[in-house]
Amino acid sequence: MPKAATSSGVDTGRRTALKAIGTIVALPWLSDEGLLAFARLQETNAASPLKVLSKPQFEALEVLTEAIIPADERSPGAKQARVADYIDLLLAEVDREVVLQWIGGLALLDAEAMSRFRSPFSRLRDTQVDAIMQTISRNEKSAQTPLEAFFVMAKQATVRGYYTSKIGIHDELGYKGNQFLREFVGCRTEDGQDCPHCGQKHHAG
Amino acid sequence: MQDDPTLNVNLTRALDESKRLADSITPVSDRWDVIVVGSGAAGGMAAFQLAMAGVKVLLLEAGRMLDVKTEYRTMEWPYASNRRGRMPVGERPIDVAEYSFLDRPYGSNPALEKYKKVMSYSANRFTRNWVVDEREHPHTGTPYAWVRSRVLGGKTNFWGRGALRYGPLQFNAASRDGFDVDWPISYDEVKPYYDKVDVLLGCSGTTEGLMQVPDGVFQKPSKLNCVEVAFKRAIAPMGRHYIPGRAGVTTEGVLNNKYRARCAGRGRCGRGCDIGAAFHSPQALIYPARDSGTLTIRPYSIVSEVLVGESSNRATGVRVIDANTSEVMDFKAPVVVLGAGTLDTTRILLNSRSRAHPSGLGNSSGVLGCYLSEHIMGIRGSGYIPARIGTETTLDDGRAVSPYVPRFRNVTDRHPDFIRGYHFQGGGGCAEYPSMADDLQGYGKAFKSNVRKHYPALISLGGFGEVLSRKENRVTLDPSVKDKWGIPVLRFDYRFGDNELKMAKDMADTVEEMLIAAKAEDIKIERDPLPPGWSIHEIGTARMGDDPRTSVTDKFCRLHDAPNVYIADAAPFVCGGTQNTTWSILAMAWRTMDYLKERLKAGDA
Repeated sequence: MPKAATSSGVDTGRRTALKAIGTIVALPWLSDEGLLAFARLQETNAASPLKVLSKPQFEALEVLTEAIIPADERSPGAKQARVADYIDLLLAEVDREVVLQWIGGLALLDAEAMSRFRSPFSRLRDTQVDAIMQTISRNEKSAQTPLEAFFVMAKQATVRGYYTSKIGIHDELGYKGNQFLREFVGCRTEDGQDCPHCGQKHHAG
Repeated sequence: MQDDPTLNVNLTRALDESKRLADSITPVSDRWDVIVVGSGAAGGMAAFQLAMAGVKVLLLEAGRMLDVKTEYRTMEWPYASNRRGRMPVGERPIDVAEYSFLDRPYGSNPALEKYKKVMSYSANRFTRNWVVDEREHPHTGTPYAWVRSRVLGGKTNFWGRGALRYGPLQFNAASRDGFDVDWPISYDEVKPYYDKVDVLLGCSGTTEGLMQVPDGVFQKPSKLNCVEVAFKRAIAPMGRHYIPGRAGVTTEGVLNNKYRARCAGRGRCGRGCDIGAAFHSPQALIYPARDSGTLTIRPYSIVSEVLVGESSNRATGVRVIDANTSEVMDFKAPVVVLGAGTLDTTRILLNSRSRAHPSGLGNSSGVLGCYLSEHIMGIRGSGYIPARIGTETTLDDGRAVSPYVPRFRNVTDRHPDFIRGYHFQGGGGCAEYPSMADDLQGYGKAFKSNVRKHYPALISLGGFGEVLSRKENRVTLDPSVKDKWGIPVLRFDYRFGDNELKMAKDMADTVEEMLIAAKAEDIKIERDPLPPGWSIHEIGTARMGDDPRTSVTDKFCRLHDAPNVYIADAAPFVCGGTQNTTWSILAMAWRTMDYLKERLKAGDA
């Protein structure tokens, strides 16, 4: 996919306008009837225990969070850790502007998916999701486009949600602390022994 | 707002007890020998020393009583809260934007001020019921992160546990570099009190023989973990030490205290240690003192001023405004001990204006409020230690504090750019939250395994540098702004000076060179200091000295202008080195109380 792989699927003019959301809420979507209608449709179709997001939005978010932190051979991913629920909860407490950032971001993601694969983001095959993820994660350190900015925002929330979940802390990281110990052991070299954990010898060098 | 059982703690017991005490204790309900203001490290130690000696003490706490069993939630996991431990949006006890950062989960839009939060252990879901709301407790002037806690035990409920003592480099600092004046007392005079505090309260550490951080009477240390040992070995050839942190946490138990057990290695001390291994003033000092039968505690008692007799220079008591009813009450006693927390103690004195003391009690010298000092911090460095990248998870954080690099500047040599020095605190290894996940790039399985790979390898160190005690760094009473109870607030005039900024630059350079020596990967250096006040190590503003023309108290922390008023907190401190302040407050308060007990015995208090 030569050209499409590097394009967000929206025309350059709107892209420039949308750039604004990376730094300030300018509500450029309101001027774009198509996108707004798309977002509205998703909202009004909502009929779930979700607090803010509609079911299609939530499904897209689940796919996105799972794409950011997927299940692997070691542990389940963001979907099973219910990261999308966590984000929906957070969105229930924030201003409309922030909710619009998220809903708008999800709408952009769908627009990207439609333009490239003629299917909403939540229905894409894994390889198609990955193609889009590659595009939107390119400039993580200094996001240039609205989709790139949305990726950064979604990743931050996913990371926070995942690594504060039971799955993230215990299954994935295997965190061992927060237990009653007789004594904290630390590196065994501190007790004058070779350390079985890190392989450092009692006598340095 | 969503209901969050981890946020909305049931305080009924503490509130009922507070109300019962406040209702029953009035200026005429009893008579007391000494009034102690404040119940943190200073007031707690003062009340303990006096009560154990049979002195009848009235302890006045501005906040409420504490229900340790409910409020110390030491082992709570983040997933117990549906916000995963975040505070609700807009909840910022410290309401000044300079001190807060964007809270990532709410979005990366810096225009959204209200989604900022205070990134500090002093303002989180565990401490939110203890830290004051700045809307009720404003202050004015230059920016200052003034963290205050109004509850039994004050900031000791969530302090950082760093239990370092001052040494000759502090008490005789001026003799060494010519700046300002020496303390009127020497390390040798205070050393026995540091030793006694170590034994009474428990201090963990290792004997190192370093004159910049004198050794104490230590219990088992918070050992270094694997990644830290690698760092220690890398910087040893530079002549720098990396030693177990010294913690005000008992690892082997203390005598005669049924409220405290020894450390169980859970590593969650900053939320309040529910087994009392960490030093918190309520369990360690106030409850035992109360059990002696000679201590009365009155919560909700905001002291607005020290009362002075019309025709004498002696205090007669203190004026109290009840925090709930706003009723004004004058409590009388022959002696007043102030331990309200350095800056609030000075605020009370400045507000104690009378015909004989028009600019505040203890201010005949004009230096009350001057020489405010704390630590410049925020400069930090981090990186991944290669030997630990890709290794299995180890238990690295089951201890009271992380290790530290003791001061190495201006100890035996003389730095060309600045006087005094700084130390680094910090450690590494596997923590509950993998902070590297916020920084590593990418997505998907590669990202996930990259986080796991770097999880055991991160090391991170932050500097604490001495801010010179300069006269122009001061607080005064704001002429017009008042707090919720009508008491004038403090106006800050406090800035970092040239010496601090040069020191901060050196801090960034040396932490970088140490990380390079450890061959750390992806080294990140934060070169900008945090705003003033962030260290929560404020000292000075009522300095001690032998000359009443240039100091507020004598060398026993007794006001030159009112011989029956003593200060138990860090307001009399002359300079503070790089060391965390609490252990020195405890030692000095003990020493001051020993002196007061002698005077009481001699009938000359």
